[in-house]
Amino acid sequence: MNKKIGVYICQCGSNISDYVDVERVREVVEREEGVALAKVTMFACADSTQQEIVKDIEEQELDGLVIASCSPKLHLFTFRNVAERGGLNKYNYVQSNIREQGSWAHSDTPEQATEKAIRSVRAAIARTRLAEPLVSPVISSERTVLVVGAGIAGLRAAVDLADAGSKVYLIERDHFVGGRTAQWGELFPTDETGGAVTADLYEEVINRDNITLHTGCEVVSNSGSVGNFDIKLRIAPRGAKADTDAAGAEGLDDFEKRLERAIEACPVEVPNAFDFGLTNRKAIYRNSGGFPLMPAIDFEHCTRCGECVNICPEIDLDQKEAFEQIKAGAVVLATGFDPYEPGTDEFGYSSIENVITLQQFRRLIEISGDTLTYKGKDVKDIAYIFCVGSRQTGALDGENKYCARHCCTSAIHSAVLAKKKFAEIQNYHFTRGVRTYGKQESIYEESSKLGDIYLQSFEDDPPVVSCENGITSVKVKDVLTEDRELEVDADLVVLVTGMVPRADKRIGEIMKVPAGRDRFFNEVHPKLKPVETVLDGIYLAGTSQGPKNITETVQSALAAAIKTNALIGKGEIELEPTMAKIDRALCEWCGKCQEACPFDAIDKTEFEGKAVAGVNESTCKGCGMCLPVCPVNAIQLIGFTDAEIETMIDALAD
Amino acid sequence: MAKVQAGFADEIKRFGAVDFSACYNCGNCTAVCPLAENDNTFPRRLLRYAVLGLEDDIQSSPEPWLCYYCGDCSETCPRQSNPGEMMMSLRRYLTSKYDWTGLSRKFYVSKAWELGAIAFISAIVILLFALFLRPTADPAGLINAEGGVKINSFVEGIEPETFVTIIEFGDWTMAAIVSFFLISNIFNMYLKIVIRNKKVKVPLRLYVKEAWNLFFHFGTQFRFSKCKDWTYWALHWLVMTGYTIMFTMIVVILPWFQTERIHPISHPQRFLGYYATFGILLAIIVWSVSRIRRTGEVHKYTHASDWIFLIMLFLTTLTGILVHFFRIGGLIYPTYYTYVIHLAILMPMLIIEVPFSKWSHIAYRPLAIYFTSLINSAAALEREEKK
Repeated sequence: MNKKIGVYICQCGSNISDYVDVERVREVVEREEGVALAKVTMFACADSTQQEIVKDIEEQELDGLVIASCSPKLHLFTFRNVAERGGLNKYNYVQSNIREQGSWAHSDTPEQATEKAIRSVRAAIARTRLAEPLVSPVISSERTVLVVGAGIAGLRAAVDLADAGSKVYLIERDHFVGGRTAQWGELFPTDETGGAVTADLYEEVINRDNITLHTGCEVVSNSGSVGNFDIKLRIAPRGAKADTDAAGAEGLDDFEKRLERAIEACPVEVPNAFDFGLTNRKAIYRNSGGFPLMPAIDFEHCTRCGECVNICPEIDLDQKEAFEQIKAGAVVLATGFDPYEPGTDEFGYSSIENVITLQQFRRLIEISGDTLTYKGKDVKDIAYIFCVGSRQTGALDGENKYCARHCCTSAIHSAVLAKKKFAEIQNYHFTRGVRTYGKQESIYEESSKLGDIYLQSFEDDPPVVSCENGITSVKVKDVLTEDRELEVDADLVVLVTGMVPRADKRIGEIMKVPAGRDRFFNEVHPKLKPVETVLDGIYLAGTSQGPKNITETVQSALAAAIKTNALIGKGEIELEPTMAKIDRALCEWCGKCQEACPFDAIDKTEFEGKAVAGVNESTCKGCGMCLPVCPVNAIQLIGFTDAEIETMIDALAD
Repeated sequence: MAKVQAGFADEIKRFGAVDFSACYNCGNCTAVCPLAENDNTFPRRLLRYAVLGLEDDIQSSPEPWLCYYCGDCSETCPRQSNPGEMMMSLRRYLTSKYDWTGLSRKFYVSKAWELGAIAFISAIVILLFALFLRPTADPAGLINAEGGVKINSFVEGIEPETFVTIIEFGDWTMAAIVSFFLISNIFNMYLKIVIRNKKVKVPLRLYVKEAWNLFFHFGTQFRFSKCKDWTYWALHWLVMTGYTIMFTMIVVILPWFQTERIHPISHPQRFLGYYATFGILLAIIVWSVSRIRRTGEVHKYTHASDWIFLIMLFLTTLTGILVHFFRIGGLIYPTYYTYVIHLAILMPMLIIEVPFSKWSHIAYRPLAIYFTSLINSAAALEREEKK
């Protein structure tokens, strides 16, 4: 069939026409086969021009459209839209880039820029001749979202997804929600406690009927994809009858007192991970002020003596793990971070007794009474060593090159908290340059006005922590004092440890979410698609994607919730028609395409009694990686068929 | 390896320093300071030393004396850390550190001590007059040919020449006390800045070669004149010359100054006296009004010692003027009693302020420039020798 093609050559004001002789381009391409009209426009993207093109399509009954203008990255969707408004299939529109790849690149040689533009437009026309009208496949989608992790990001995302009308499964591996935030005590700048903030969100979660919260719960496997994730959950035994949050007739206070007595009665003591090992807890435990209210049994250490059950019959030591199969249209990963664990002897860690991490220090402030003591000794002078486990360049060469963002503010805020809460505290900050960006600058100013002392070194000369005769001191060549060697005796050295990705990589492996160079889950684009993964239907919330403070964590959680809702909110998902298509008659299943596919979209299937490759439409991204590896050329990429590419090459080379 | 002493902040605040701990070493103070040199460390280095409590480094530094407190740094400071006031406080602190008796620190940190000492010396002066120099002469013989009061003839049986000699003896005693303490403190300053300087050894010939600095800067206060607002320098120069003239007249040439007859106004005794009085009085008025109104950075913060200094100087000047006019007007007893009060204020002011307090800068400032030039020249020599 002979198409009637309309060609528009854009001057882009003078961006193109200053170097490319647009009139000559028009004259040449006008003579191309199938070109019904060829026009020069001042701005193809201008409203009036768009209307003119729509009118042309309708009046001239065009069935192909070429616009030679800027990069498709800028206006592909604009002009596809113009084609559709004129009644064309949008895939019958082809863009030719004569600005970024023409006038701008060849401004020194306008003659050749014009020649290149002519060939480029002819190639576009050639492709348009073969372009097929394509229809986007539509799949139905569950209006259910699985949110993995009930820290502040997961809680926040779950609430907003539920309010937007989705059913939400919120799962948390721990037996208590709140994640890291619940551990931190007073937060900058409002001085609300992390526990209070997460408790509020927990309240909102349990008040919503369309959120199902599972604690002690992990993803075991997934066999679906966007719109229809088929996920198996494992729910570890809590050791308490399920959903015993309600105190019943007894009244909440009495119930809690009884729970406390039951915990008191437990004879087993193990280090408390919630306090980073600074305290011990029983084998039946609650995180301080944590939710849900019911304590959990640490079955690894529980001796099943039954003391707690005697006081609290709600406790069930025979509870077994359970499995649940769910379907979800999308998944939000809010799996958080681990604090960086310094190596042995890294700034004296674990070799010098009074060296602790920032996270331990936060807990120490929380669990201390009127005086700050560590291992029985009063703490007055505190040295903070910044960027431990972050920005590991220079002499500190390590795998974490990134800045962990939150730690400068967190350390300084902690120092101010300690100074206000306890008497005679003197803080010494050994920084590599303070990064209390944005509104957080005020805490830095407050700290320095309170008399905190700041010293600074660079990565090639980090501070040295040593201990002699029981006195721990930190030495540094201070760049703020003409590189003088200075020494501070400290009762406590706090290593300002940053964030690293979770050591437990299973969720990433199960969902096949790729990690970036920093080993955090990777977003598609840091600015334009910051919460999307390359996998449709899987979104990132909070620090699973990279270091963030709580404000930024919640922002990304809300962004993930919005994006998730936009995807599954209609109950159906429109996919890109650009995808791989297998010629099953030719395919002899060698598996090479499956290996090449970065999205796990190809599986072995059967066709007329032989093994062939099958493409999962909802996961194929049309990247084309499988095409060149096929030994029998059995794969075509819809929208970019071999015939289309070849005809373009012919037109360019002609 | 120097130890950081955060507690120094509390110590230096006793000497007046305010809110300096927020300093983040940006260097704006250095950028605006017209006296900062190419190494770009003045005055921020001293502020950093103070934040860290590096007392040895502070005590061996002449730099606080090289600042004249124009206040541009404090005005420009983005953290309101008041570097100018810090330099001022360091001068007070250094004065107390040069002083081996420990009195200076007591006077600076305790008003009771300073006022008590002033009262004590005043009492001695008044007591000496009451015991030995009561106005027993017949008032009829106390009026001279010009109709004025014969100021040296108040005591029956003591000749005017003897009276002047007695007062002169008192002055010289005072000067001896002041000199003893001041010179021993200067020696301390010299030890800290030059002798204990680990970086350079100063060869003897340099002491002679650089000595001109001492006299030149004492006389002209040239460095001060490089500050932005030259009027500060001008007023200060007026005071300094007036003060020096007055001090010379009352100590070195008292018989020439304190005469029985009243000279005509063209006599240098008169016009030098007026010049000195005018300079000092003008400065007292400008400085007092500025401190009350807190005009400009330099007058924003006033330490107790600043007020005591200004008040003492004002009272000395006022009583001096009164003695002068009572004498010319022939008012016999007012002349006598005002004269006694004048001495009872002047004496403690000089004994307390010159070696132990604010007046000491008359010596320390030019000396600091001298010592700095010694160290710099010695360092330059060493560099040349290495080449």
